[in-house]
Amino acid sequence: MLDVEVSQSVIDHALSLGADFADLFVERRRVNDVNTLSDKVQSVQSGIDFGIGIRLVYGTKVLYGYTNRTDADELKRITSELAARDAKAAEPASGGFDFRVPQDLHPVVNKLSDDPEGDEKVACLLEADQAARVTSDYISQTRGFCMQIEQDIEVFNSEGLHTRDTRNYTRVGTSAIASDGGEQATGGWNDGGLIGWEVRKRIDPKEMGNEAARQALVNLKAKPCPSGRMPVVIGPGFGGVIFHEACGHLLETTSVAKKASVFHDQMGELIANPVVNAVDDGTMTNEWGSLNIDDEGMGTQRTQLIKDGVLTSFLVDRMGAQQTGYDRTGSGRRQNYSFAPASRMRNTFIESGDSEIDEMIGSIDKGLFAAHMGGGSVKPGTGEFNFAVREGYYVEDGKIQHPVKAATLISTGPAVLKEISMVGKDFSLACGMCGSVSGSLPTTVGQPTLKVDDILVGGNE
Amino acid sequence: MTTQDRANSVLDQVNAAGASGDLIVDASQSLSLKARNGDLEEYKVSSRQVYGLRVIKDGRVGTAYSEDSDASALESIVEQAIVNASFAGEDLNETILPNAGELRTDDALLHPEEETNIEDQIEMALRLERELGSRNKVTSVPYNGVQDTSSERQVFTSSGMSALSRSRVCVCYAYAIAEEGDNNAMEGAGQVSRLFSDLDDARVVDKAHTDCLSILEGKPVPSKHYDVIFDEETQTDMFGVFASMFSGKSAKDGVNPMRDKVGEGIADQRLTIRDNPLIIEGQGYALFDAEGTATRATPLIVDGKLETLIHNSATASHFDLQTTGHASRSPRSTLGVSLHQIEILPGTESEASLKSGEYVELTNLDGLHSGGNPISGDFSFGAAGYLCKDGHRVQPVRGITVAGNFFQMLKKIAAIGSEQKWNWQKDSLMPSIRFSDVAISG
Repeated sequence: MLDVEVSQSVIDHALSLGADFADLFVERRRVNDVNTLSDKVQSVQSGIDFGIGIRLVYGTKVLYGYTNRTDADELKRITSELAARDAKAAEPASGGFDFRVPQDLHPVVNKLSDDPEGDEKVACLLEADQAARVTSDYISQTRGFCMQIEQDIEVFNSEGLHTRDTRNYTRVGTSAIASDGGEQATGGWNDGGLIGWEVRKRIDPKEMGNEAARQALVNLKAKPCPSGRMPVVIGPGFGGVIFHEACGHLLETTSVAKKASVFHDQMGELIANPVVNAVDDGTMTNEWGSLNIDDEGMGTQRTQLIKDGVLTSFLVDRMGAQQTGYDRTGSGRRQNYSFAPASRMRNTFIESGDSEIDEMIGSIDKGLFAAHMGGGSVKPGTGEFNFAVREGYYVEDGKIQHPVKAATLISTGPAVLKEISMVGKDFSLACGMCGSVSGSLPTTVGQPTLKVDDILVGGNE
Repeated sequence: MTTQDRANSVLDQVNAAGASGDLIVDASQSLSLKARNGDLEEYKVSSRQVYGLRVIKDGRVGTAYSEDSDASALESIVEQAIVNASFAGEDLNETILPNAGELRTDDALLHPEEETNIEDQIEMALRLERELGSRNKVTSVPYNGVQDTSSERQVFTSSGMSALSRSRVCVCYAYAIAEEGDNNAMEGAGQVSRLFSDLDDARVVDKAHTDCLSILEGKPVPSKHYDVIFDEETQTDMFGVFASMFSGKSAKDGVNPMRDKVGEGIADQRLTIRDNPLIIEGQGYALFDAEGTATRATPLIVDGKLETLIHNSATASHFDLQTTGHASRSPRSTLGVSLHQIEILPGTESEASLKSGEYVELTNLDGLHSGGNPISGDFSFGAAGYLCKDGHRVQPVRGITVAGNFFQMLKKIAAIGSEQKWNWQKDSLMPSIRFSDVAISG
């Protein structure tokens, strides 16, 4: 995408200004969004983003700029502006680039640039709409979306790295609203991956619509949730957001290096119940949070974060490695060229255990079964996190009683990790978007069903 | 080739294809500084431009955008937008308004001239970290920064309108982590202004430090229903989560529970809310919307009764109404609606009466993006604040949740204060409201 000679001249210019390290991140992103409302296409949008990010490093200081232009003069002008206050005696020019083709771990068949497949996408979403509507007369509205992205990236750096990759993302989803008089409730379903439109083969639009409608109908009948401290069984898949918020963000060197993580000095220590094993893995084939290379050009990897409750690794990008001394884990990620990279999660999950869900529910006198979770957030400095229950049930005497609504679970990372007492076998993954210092990124969360012995449930009863 | 030339070329192609359309061109330049350990951690400069086209052909709407502004890229977005329109359902309500002529915002007001020295901006970033980091019990200042962004938006339509708006936003902020024994807390503060010289970083440091220490020894309160007063930040957050209750677009889409309630009482009779883009000192000040329609103060709830939803020309046409001047659109989006700056009119309650007896003052809400459902009105958020009695904070409170139904809460107002306050982003002006019978879990 960017002429190699231009790239070389900009990197050389940065080094001549005394930068310890410099890299260029070049990005072209094609986007196609199809949205339906009820049984009609509401909008189809498409676009192209293109830009170049320039990063200079002086010691631990990061200087970052970006532009939509590709000419050497503009790129050097930005470089000079960035370095104006830090320029020092010139270093020798770099020795050229070594072009490396990353291993393609995530083969794609139907790319956006080949064919946006507009008719097929519309047909899929309208079939889901129909399936949701026939479920019940209480279903009053549906929405559907299909988002497809083709992101070409290219990285050049002053250590001679030149590499490029193409990432294809596709995500499909539907939501339903159930209404009964003045009461309204929602449900939703989505699936996606680092994959092309061939994702359609694994999606059943009827199942998609049925599931969204089922959730909406359950929530329509839900009662206010009891509140207070209680045991909670958290369902598989998106339930993994508990680990993402309670622990994952606290293991990113973006927080660790600043000591803005409660785990910053606990490497090798027992930080979770010994039944907990946790992983961040960018290699999983065609998963939503997977990569071939990170946004600093490093090959992705599987990183064991917690083994038998013991902290075994942080998530480390280039600056994190420099600041903490830990090896890079291929975790430098960014939303697009307008952000400098930071250490971020990929596919992050708790591994399977050996408990059964009936055993977990059966062990509860009074508590909650959070079958499906919504999103959450965390303050890394204190570990305080929250996440929302999208579909929940009150449990009494070891049995599920009735659905409940509007519940949030809150705790701190160190506390909740020690309260996970049982881990199930029904492992699954779910995709989401994670927002942090380097923007909004595709990340996968996952877990089998697990039991937290004691956590604060915020309900409205 | 100027932006006007490019716009003319694009709209000529749109006309030649038998369509009408509008083109938004956004450009921005920004500086972002962050400090760490006494030195700059981040120095970020940016320059960005994007062209976003909406076309309407045979009653169908399509959009496309490009960050590349060469002739072939702009030709491509015309083709893409027209192809995209061919998939869309017919909607005869959406048209390009026959507004013509030139509109321009007042630079002296929204983008005032100021000679800003970069060294002064760097010094402020360093000072924020240094001063807050040196305060009692503060162990680090992990998040801090100074930002200066100049933005320009041009809108061109096939009916001959040309609108130019320019704005500048300067921001400084800092978050501290304080520790004492086994307790720790992270709190922050910020300020936004149109002039760098109006930023008061010392005040930001004082507020961040005070808030951090005040909450440090916070603990849960017993679970029960309390009267609750949100501070100006969290009250703005609450109304923001449920702002789509005023959306004519959501009503048109069948996902706004207030759709059929215009003219009905939906809140306590003492509550009056309006959208007021004409308050000059607010960051939401605007004289025209994304379709070029003049804005005005719009009563939304008057004496508890829902007066109107907010509309662009398309949603207004759908309901056989007039636009309320709330059209919104970015280069990357379709036509929508949005509030400019929300204002709740002051009540008559004295401070002493508003804050009599026991109540919980909430100064922090967590999980706003996930814990509220704007369709059902249900919410449950992590929260922090203070247990208060007769206007005095008697105990900092942390590790609690607040839950309820926002639409029902609007009917359970115990008192409305008589003094309006801006939130720190300065786009919301509200008095304190005391809500009764809110579920707090601790």
